[in-house]
Amino acid sequence: MTSLVTAGARSRALMTPYAFLLPALVVTAAVILFPVLQTAWMSLHDFVLFRPRDVPFIGLGNFARMWDDEVFWISLGHSFLWIALVVGFQFLLGLGAALLLNESFWWRGIARSLIIVPWALPSVIIGLMWTWMYDFNVGVINDGLLRLGLISEPVAWLAQPDTAFYAVILALIWQGFPFFAVVVLAGLQTIPAELYEAAEIDGASRFQKLVYVTLPSISEVIATALLLRTIWVANSLDVILVMTGGGPGYATHTLPLYAFLKAYSGMEFGYGAALALVLTALLLVVVFIYVRRVARELSR
Amino acid sequence: MTKDNMTRKKGIGRRRFLQLAGAGVLAAPFAGSFPAPAVAQGVTVRWWYHFDNPQHSPAELVAKFEKENPGIKVVAESIPWGGGNDYYTRLFAALVAGNAPDCAMVKLNNQARLVEMGVLEPLDDMLKGWNARTDITEDIWQLNKASDGKQYYLPLQYVVLYLYYRPDLFEQAGVAAPRTFDDFLKAAKALTKDGVFGFGMRGGAGGHDHWGPFVLGGGANFRKGGMVSDKALAANRWFVDLGTKEKVFPPSAPTDGFRQIIDGFKAGRTAMTIHHVGSSNEMVEALGDKVSAVPVPRGPDGNGWTSFGDESNAVFSASANKEAAFKWITFLSTAENNVTFNGFTGQLTVTTSGMADWKLHPKRFVEASEQSLAMAGVLPDSPKTADFVRTVWPTNMQRALLGQISPDDMMQAIEKHFHG
Repeated sequence: MTSLVTAGARSRALMTPYAFLLPALVVTAAVILFPVLQTAWMSLHDFVLFRPRDVPFIGLGNFARMWDDEVFWISLGHSFLWIALVVGFQFLLGLGAALLLNESFWWRGIARSLIIVPWALPSVIIGLMWTWMYDFNVGVINDGLLRLGLISEPVAWLAQPDTAFYAVILALIWQGFPFFAVVVLAGLQTIPAELYEAAEIDGASRFQKLVYVTLPSISEVIATALLLRTIWVANSLDVILVMTGGGPGYATHTLPLYAFLKAYSGMEFGYGAALALVLTALLLVVVFIYVRRVARELSR
Repeated sequence: MTKDNMTRKKGIGRRRFLQLAGAGVLAAPFAGSFPAPAVAQGVTVRWWYHFDNPQHSPAELVAKFEKENPGIKVVAESIPWGGGNDYYTRLFAALVAGNAPDCAMVKLNNQARLVEMGVLEPLDDMLKGWNARTDITEDIWQLNKASDGKQYYLPLQYVVLYLYYRPDLFEQAGVAAPRTFDDFLKAAKALTKDGVFGFGMRGGAGGHDHWGPFVLGGGANFRKGGMVSDKALAANRWFVDLGTKEKVFPPSAPTDGFRQIIDGFKAGRTAMTIHHVGSSNEMVEALGDKVSAVPVPRGPDGNGWTSFGDESNAVFSASANKEAAFKWITFLSTAENNVTFNGFTGQLTVTTSGMADWKLHPKRFVEASEQSLAMAGVLPDSPKTADFVRTVWPTNMQRALLGQISPDDMMQAIEKHFHG
């Protein structure tokens, strides 16, 4: 009898943590796991939204189609370039801004608040704002360049394939650099002043202090921010959608945008789901590194 | 007894209904699906609409209808348009999920998809009993008929695309408003100078309206082989050349959308563009007498084509309140209500009586619209049309204008899209 009670109590004790975890697990399963599985299932079908009664199972047909799909490869190439340029420049600009904002000057408080503005604006507003700044007829960029004599006639920034992609990238760099600035600034403030004092006594120059003291001290913060930002930028399509819709031609197509257009313009949910899964698989690599880092930090 | 019939018997009241249910007159499955008691006191019609100007609201019409039809409540839900993408994605998703409204504003380019889904209610029988039917001209009824011969769409408003031009610039350049493609090219070339471009072409979404008059009007059509015939290919080459060789389009044309072509014209950067009466008040506000309109030019063999911009209401077959929904949409298409409605959307009334005393737009633009009706056409009633409009046309047009593909490749792509 006693042993039975002990066994019951023990199993209850074992189960208790799971019982506490259960609500969170159920919610996670409902809002994340289920849609992911549904997407995977959808990607194996020729699911076209306006043909809901005719959804044949085609196995890996959608993935095979991707192999021969020129636009998929264009979009994939653009995605890599997009991530590298956007995240790279956002980081450099953010680092520069953070270093400046870490100096002391009388309007530092205002500058620190103002720098958040691009980050705080909704993406759609940013897309529209930059679209009009780049506008051929009435855009402020053309107007400024014309007045400065740098160009002799207006440039259709968003209508030329060799400028459209970089024009959109510039808008996104502007939108996202405050994130790095804020994160890096927070990191900078954790560096003990003694380190700089010691470096100064050793006769280190400003540049040497940056390379040997500042950057190593915030490398963890930078790595985490870079990983997070890569995931966000890889997924983002709102600014491109607003500014060019992927055009001209396929000049500004990225993988998430292409998946979105296939699903919501073509209503080809099956193919759209397959494209989204490929993007997910690629991102999982980054997510994996990120999660491992976070786990390591937590276990310290 | 169908579910439809049941909902019409809302007058029986809750107590009586419960008695009937208790007596076993109603079958058990029905009792389960019968609407909640609050609805049983009256019928609620859910209607989806979209207005370009979000400050406009159909509340005034809803109030009038509810006063005239006690027992029917209309819930008008404004759905974001987003160039059509947002609206239709939501509508299709709602239909598939079984949560669609009873009726909604719809356009012809999605009719085939909706018919293929089997979600539209044919209105033919109900229309027989509608007195004001003849106040809408037969042309408009015909344009709105589905390819299976049934009438699913009840016309609500329309526009016909015409050519805006600047009489003052034309006079300075010594050219007249164009009637033919040749006139058009001559005028566009004469007007392209000093930072002004002859024609503000829309290469972004919705720009097929600019391409149609010259390529469909020049001999292309959507039947099998119709995009790759010699005539069709020649017409498209001519059109693409306007941008690449004649340079009468602004360089921004490949991605210009509605706002850009209108603002470019208003700012005097282009001397012609194509749009409809919906933008006429805005044009007059900016340019006064320096803007006028004529039908789009005709091709070498005298044929012409321009886009008929339609808007109708449809009732969905899954609706439990089809008759009430039908009452509401006929109310909106009846003379003075229709005119009030057009006040919100800036388009033209489908009713003959409403048109008789039209005050919403300057006369010259209404006349250009009416003169254009003879060559007005719609895109094919095919499930592939919507994707043609949203992605196939813009992408291929942009690539052709940028020299990434040849004009013939573009036509091949369109042919392939429709006919494999």
